[in-house]
Amino acid sequence: MIDFLIALIENTLYSATVVLLGALGAIINEKSGVVNIGVEGVFILSAFSTVYFTLASGNLAIGILLALVVSGLAGLIHGLISIYLRGDQVIIGVGFNMVAAGLTIVMMVTTWGDYSQTPQIQKLQGLQFTIGGKVFIIPLFSIVAILVGLAEWFILEKTKYGLVLKACGDEPRAAEAMGINVFRTRLLATVLGAVVMGLGGVFLSAEWFGNYTKATTAGRGFIALANEAFSNWNPAMAIAGALLFGFFEALSISLPIQLQSMLGRQFTAETYLFKMMPYVATIIVITMVMKKIRMPRALGKPYIKE
Amino acid sequence: MKTIEMHGIRKIYPDGVIALHGVDFEAEEGEIHGLLGENGAGKTTLMRILYGEIRPTEGEIKVLGRRVRYRNPRDAIKQGIAMIYQHFSLVPTMTVLDNLYLALATINPRITRNEVEARAKKLIGETRLKIPLDKVVEELPAGVQQRVEILKALIRDARILILDEPTSVLTPLEAEELFQSLKKLKEKRMTIILITHKLREVKAITDRVTVLRRGIKVGTVRTSEVTEAQLARMMVARDVELVLEKPPGIQPGREVLRIEYLWVRNSEGVDVLKGVNLSVREGEIIGVAGVQGNGQTELAEAIAGLRRPYRGRIILDSKDITMLDPMSRYKLGISYVPESRRNGLIHEMNLIENSVLTSTYSYIGRYGFIDWGRAVETALKIIKEYDINPPNPYTMVKNLSGGNQQKLLVGRELVKKPRVLVVSEPTQGVDVASTEFIRRKLLELKTRGVGILLISTDLDEVIQLSDRIIVMYEGRVIGEGRTEEFTLEKLGLLMGGISA
Amino acid sequence: MPEASNYMRIVKVIIEEAVSLLVGFAVAVIILLFSGYEPLSVISILFSEGFRNTEVLMKQSIPVIATGLAFSIPALAGLFNIGGESQLYIGAFTGLVSTYIIYNATGQPVLSSVTGLVSGTLAGGFWGFIIGYLRARRSVNEVVVAIMMNWTTYYLVLYLIVSRFTDPIYSHMSVFVPASSRIPDVLGFIMIAGVAVLTYIVLRYSSLGYSIRVAGLNPKAAVYAGFNLEKIFITAMSISGAIAGLGGALFVLSVIYSIDTTMSAIYGLGFLGIGIGLLGRNNPIGVVLAGLFISGLQFGGQWVELRTGAPPYLTDVVIGIIVIALSATYTYELLVSKLRRG
Repeated sequence: MIDFLIALIENTLYSATVVLLGALGAIINEKSGVVNIGVEGVFILSAFSTVYFTLASGNLAIGILLALVVSGLAGLIHGLISIYLRGDQVIIGVGFNMVAAGLTIVMMVTTWGDYSQTPQIQKLQGLQFTIGGKVFIIPLFSIVAILVGLAEWFILEKTKYGLVLKACGDEPRAAEAMGINVFRTRLLATVLGAVVMGLGGVFLSAEWFGNYTKATTAGRGFIALANEAFSNWNPAMAIAGALLFGFFEALSISLPIQLQSMLGRQFTAETYLFKMMPYVATIIVITMVMKKIRMPRALGKPYIKE
Repeated sequence: MKTIEMHGIRKIYPDGVIALHGVDFEAEEGEIHGLLGENGAGKTTLMRILYGEIRPTEGEIKVLGRRVRYRNPRDAIKQGIAMIYQHFSLVPTMTVLDNLYLALATINPRITRNEVEARAKKLIGETRLKIPLDKVVEELPAGVQQRVEILKALIRDARILILDEPTSVLTPLEAEELFQSLKKLKEKRMTIILITHKLREVKAITDRVTVLRRGIKVGTVRTSEVTEAQLARMMVARDVELVLEKPPGIQPGREVLRIEYLWVRNSEGVDVLKGVNLSVREGEIIGVAGVQGNGQTELAEAIAGLRRPYRGRIILDSKDITMLDPMSRYKLGISYVPESRRNGLIHEMNLIENSVLTSTYSYIGRYGFIDWGRAVETALKIIKEYDINPPNPYTMVKNLSGGNQQKLLVGRELVKKPRVLVVSEPTQGVDVASTEFIRRKLLELKTRGVGILLISTDLDEVIQLSDRIIVMYEGRVIGEGRTEEFTLEKLGLLMGGISA
Repeated sequence: MPEASNYMRIVKVIIEEAVSLLVGFAVAVIILLFSGYEPLSVISILFSEGFRNTEVLMKQSIPVIATGLAFSIPALAGLFNIGGESQLYIGAFTGLVSTYIIYNATGQPVLSSVTGLVSGTLAGGFWGFIIGYLRARRSVNEVVVAIMMNWTTYYLVLYLIVSRFTDPIYSHMSVFVPASSRIPDVLGFIMIAGVAVLTYIVLRYSSLGYSIRVAGLNPKAAVYAGFNLEKIFITAMSISGAIAGLGGALFVLSVIYSIDTTMSAIYGLGFLGIGIGLLGRNNPIGVVLAGLFISGLQFGGQWVELRTGAPPYLTDVVIGIIVIALSATYTYELLVSKLRRG
């Protein structure tokens, strides 16, 4: 039983970290008024890039750094097209996800000739605790994610940068009239947001799975978006929300294992039912919560100067 | 000393429209200079060029004797120019203090919130402008929001203040307070430019006034040396027919619409209509006067069925329609012309598709298909009766001028031969010829026995056309009577909330 | 003047399509060069093989025309239906299973096919209804719900196939559509093309179509006109789900006859539909053409892999780039206005 609980908590942290970083990045974006559905795509690109560049350079730190650069570039492109060219932001996001998914597979095949997975890299080790004889691991990135979340909360609520972002997202005309360059602010926010999202993808490869496959991201980018809405664009709430969503995914992994050992038989088809859980749970949670939230007023609308 | 000098300002938009034909303008410190003209004369455009929001096609600008070329408002703000719009440039979801902090922080990145608060409090003391610093902007009434805008300008050390139609959202009382504040600022040697189309305002407060007409400067005069009539003639270049011929003594018929004790709440739970009673008879025009935002729009929407009252009844021809949806009401003979052309017409559709927007039910044939043949006929009828240009029914509405769009909107609702017409701001933003046309059509409708509820912020229009007038203030009917019983002063007082 | 504006609109559309396609292919060329393949041969194989066989072209385009329509109809109402994937899955599965069951129970081929198609359509419609309802009544963001439903349905269908409907001989496939219940492939295409034509007529001329378009162009005006936005949203989503479901059922009954346990044959077709809807400018006839075009590219992509070893996923990239390029319509307005003056 203790083992089950420990596994559950660990898995929760792992899942939550990804969902949290994705949500934190999306919050920065959307506070400034730019919708970015491409969280999944950023996860895909940064997770893959981590593996690719680590293997290419032989150094994990360089791999992570370059992966973040790639994420930032993705944000830059999204920002340029949606802000300056007034592209429909949702469609860009959808297209971006498609490109990212296809591109990474193409790269996988041409680099290693394998359609389904990349080679393994040396993973990061989390912090180890021993409690009552049982080993307990807290991923490094979980701590990073929470720190980023707290920092983001502080900046958004307590500093003038938060005010600037909020102005761009709620009333860009007023922001412009005050002398703020709305375009530039939004672009910066999009790039920064993409980098934070990239941290989530980096975590997937560097600390969780150790390689990249088609199934690595598994729609977590969209769960991150659900978390973002759930948190009412508040980074502190996003931490709580991430734990909630992470818990559901952890349950879907740990529960079948526990049940199988308790009932003494193997699940085959039933594993699929458990895999459904996090997604169904997300729908239920977001349905209950959606009416009470308030999104930035100018979200998704391109700002048109005269 | 001349603070502003603009020479030969020309502005031509990419689609060919010429907003300014080479205008000269100058203003001095310690004066209130009025910029007078009709809608579309170019006054706002000229000032936005000064403020750096719009780039002029040609022309030279000097501020405080030095040539300037502002690329954005930030440059203008740094040099002490501040523009206060009709629609405010404050972030509605932030507090007053946060707005001020943001406004200052963008020019002076090192400033702290506490410094801003101190400065704000000092200025509030000096100017006697009452402003609550900790309240969220969108919860404040228009008059207070405007004061915040002025404070914002002052806190950024503005020396030149441009106000764009500042009294359009104020009651007469608030307007008076504004003028007092402006006079105080004038004493401090500020340059104040007042953009307006209201003659009374010009006479009340300005020292000099420049008149623009269709992008051309007609002239600059000392206010004390002209009469309102002379200014009006400069504005429109003809003697304006201020009073239309009203058709002789039509007796209104039976009651066709009755509003009983109507209470409506908005989405934040605040009452916007408080126990309104109203009666409209056949062949009668009831004018609803009042400053925008006192419940007129909500009243119109409640009658059309776009808002649900939580108390009270609406009765059409002795049938209780309170619970009916809009389409059912349209079927029963209510027509509604909303104040926004944006929401009353579909700009990406053509005239035909727009003509059936509020009466699709009468065009549905077999299997749920719309009889487009008849729709075309209707469109052509509207085009002919209302003289819409270009007369091709396949034109997209967005390619029509504002005046033609308004004629389409009004015409569509009028050709339905309604029992009751609710019309809001029928001639706003419309050129003079179309305005006369629309007003004449309304009078025509009246002779055919239609009951008309006319909502307008144009007092002259209300007085000209209505048989009876009601005045709305803060969601209540604060005064009513036959048109002849009202004087302008009485109306002004009522609009400002002061009854008897 | 209206002639001029209509002419300008057509020019604008042509430029948008052409430039987006060019950009998409340009990026593909760059990627090919970077990975060491020869762009010219790849592209020539893509087009020559992809469009050679019209019968294959028509068969393969059935599901994507359906999901393209499923994206376009709500798009015209102002909604994003990203759930075409789940609607396709449920339609395919329901169609397959009900045909199989009815045939085994009654031995009637036509009855079982028809039941399959109808049940697939209804299932898809219900799936679409869920998203529409949550969006209209509970203001839930339809993109997030749709993606969640995509994954949920994916696992649900997999579970059902693996636990109950595995084929006795080929354990990695689901049960097969009985031979006599299979629909001749061209008939399948004709059916979905017919649905597209019907959709066009309804959108253009009927009062439902009119209210959908008004809601999309100006929701406030729709409310003013007395239209019930909630009803419009739910109706649009349900209809589009039904069409996607029909597409799935048709695809199974006329082309693939079985779903394998990785769902590889139908995976991703919903997302492709988004690109096809966009490419077809949300016009049903355009969607048919775009569907044929993209299917051809995909099919050609498989040949490219055979002949040169370049991965077929490249077509996904191309399509994704085209989608992004198409989204930036303002760019094209700029281009058109520059053309007019220059």
